[in-house]
Amino acid sequence: MSTHDPDHDLLARLHALPVERSAPADGWERLSARLPPREPGAAQVPLDKVVTLPLRTRRRWWLPVGAALAASLALYAVAPWRHAADTLSAPPSGLQLQADAMTEQYRQAVASLPDGTAPEWQPALHELDRSAEQIRAAMAQDPRAPHLLGQLKRTYALRLELTRQAAQAASGLTT
Amino acid sequence: MRTLSPLCAALLLVPALALADTRVDERHNVAAGGRIELSNVAGKVTVRGWDRNDVQLTGTLSDGLQLRQEKSANRVRWEIEYPRRSNNGGATLTLNVPRSVELLLSTVSADQDISGVDVRRLQADTVSGNLAAAGRSGDSVLNTVSGNVTARLQTPRLDVNTVSGRIEAGGGVSGEIGAQTVSGRVGVDAGRIQRLVVETVSGGIDLSASALAPGGRINVESVSASVSLRLPRTVSAQLSVNSFSGSINSDAGKVERPRYGPGSSLDARLGSGDGDIRVQSHSGSVQVRLDR
Repeated sequence: MSTHDPDHDLLARLHALPVERSAPADGWERLSARLPPREPGAAQVPLDKVVTLPLRTRRRWWLPVGAALAASLALYAVAPWRHAADTLSAPPSGLQLQADAMTEQYRQAVASLPDGTAPEWQPALHELDRSAEQIRAAMAQDPRAPHLLGQLKRTYALRLELTRQAAQAASGLTT
Repeated sequence: MRTLSPLCAALLLVPALALADTRVDERHNVAAGGRIELSNVAGKVTVRGWDRNDVQLTGTLSDGLQLRQEKSANRVRWEIEYPRRSNNGGATLTLNVPRSVELLLSTVSADQDISGVDVRRLQADTVSGNLAAAGRSGDSVLNTVSGNVTARLQTPRLDVNTVSGRIEAGGGVSGEIGAQTVSGRVGVDAGRIQRLVVETVSGGIDLSASALAPGGRINVESVSASVSLRLPRTVSAQLSVNSFSGSINSDAGKVERPRYGPGSSLDARLGSGDGDIRVQSHSGSVQVRLDR
């Protein structure tokens, strides 16, 4: 019967391995020698400055496609001949996003006010609603006009104040 | 039969008595610089200035209306109280005011006719009533919703706000002027301007000034309304005009248009370029004339 224990030998060899191993200094040169030759026309760069992965370059079919897409998007963003209709399908501008947020806040504020409107206020409230729509339409045409956002803010503020006054008047006396 | 006749006559008089107007005749001494307030809903309010130290309120109240008043040495407040859900025809009132007071007027549908006053401050608010103000005021604020405003005031500060009411300002208005409306037209014929700010959505704008103070500023904004601005040829300011789809016509400067797409603008230096004039309209035309 043998006293040789194979598990014991394996453990002993594992313990004998160094904790850290450094890559050999000539590792890249030896690896590079085994690689296939570069494609013609490829730029020669110093090996110590750029790490290239030549095997993957042929698979980057999306690079020219992505570049073309980015270029077309950039061209679209700065092209001066865009028509107003084009802007309708464009992503909303910062001003439009602000206008959307303002409109939502305004609607919530109006909904929180009591119902009822004294007759003197009714035409003005309709006029303010029409004007707000007109301003929003103008913003859709020219989404980079900050004065339109100011006009919308003024119109909503006036509409809120008059809605409040009209409700107060309706709950009190009517003329 | 003989006994019934006086009874019938008495019964016939009851509705007539019930519909009788109430006369108002009130006076109060107000210290110089004091405040006079009058609030009414319907009817008419006439205000006149006079050379006395007391304030007088006269007129008639329709049936059911009552005069409520609060008085002190520096202040008098008159308010016409209306029965709930009815105005019964409103009140016709005349207010005679001394000089140098602060005058606050508020109505709903009642017109306000103010003239001959010389007050420290004037504030007049109405909803659907028309508002006409003439005289002198150190500071003037005129607000309506749908009522028209006609201001012939010698005032260094005027602020007018309406929703659909037309705004006409002249008669010596100068200094700092603000006019804001939504759909009402704005017409301002001013003297020397320090600051003129006009905003409308669709109401046309017609402005004229005899001079722009050094460092003065004119700022006009509209969405769809046309803008006309007349100034003297000697005006000194940097002029900037922008319109998205409206035309620009100016006595000074050259209109620039992008090679492609909408929009036009104009930038010009008038004189030494001391003040600032800025006009913006989304779709309205803009006209600048230097012939005042």
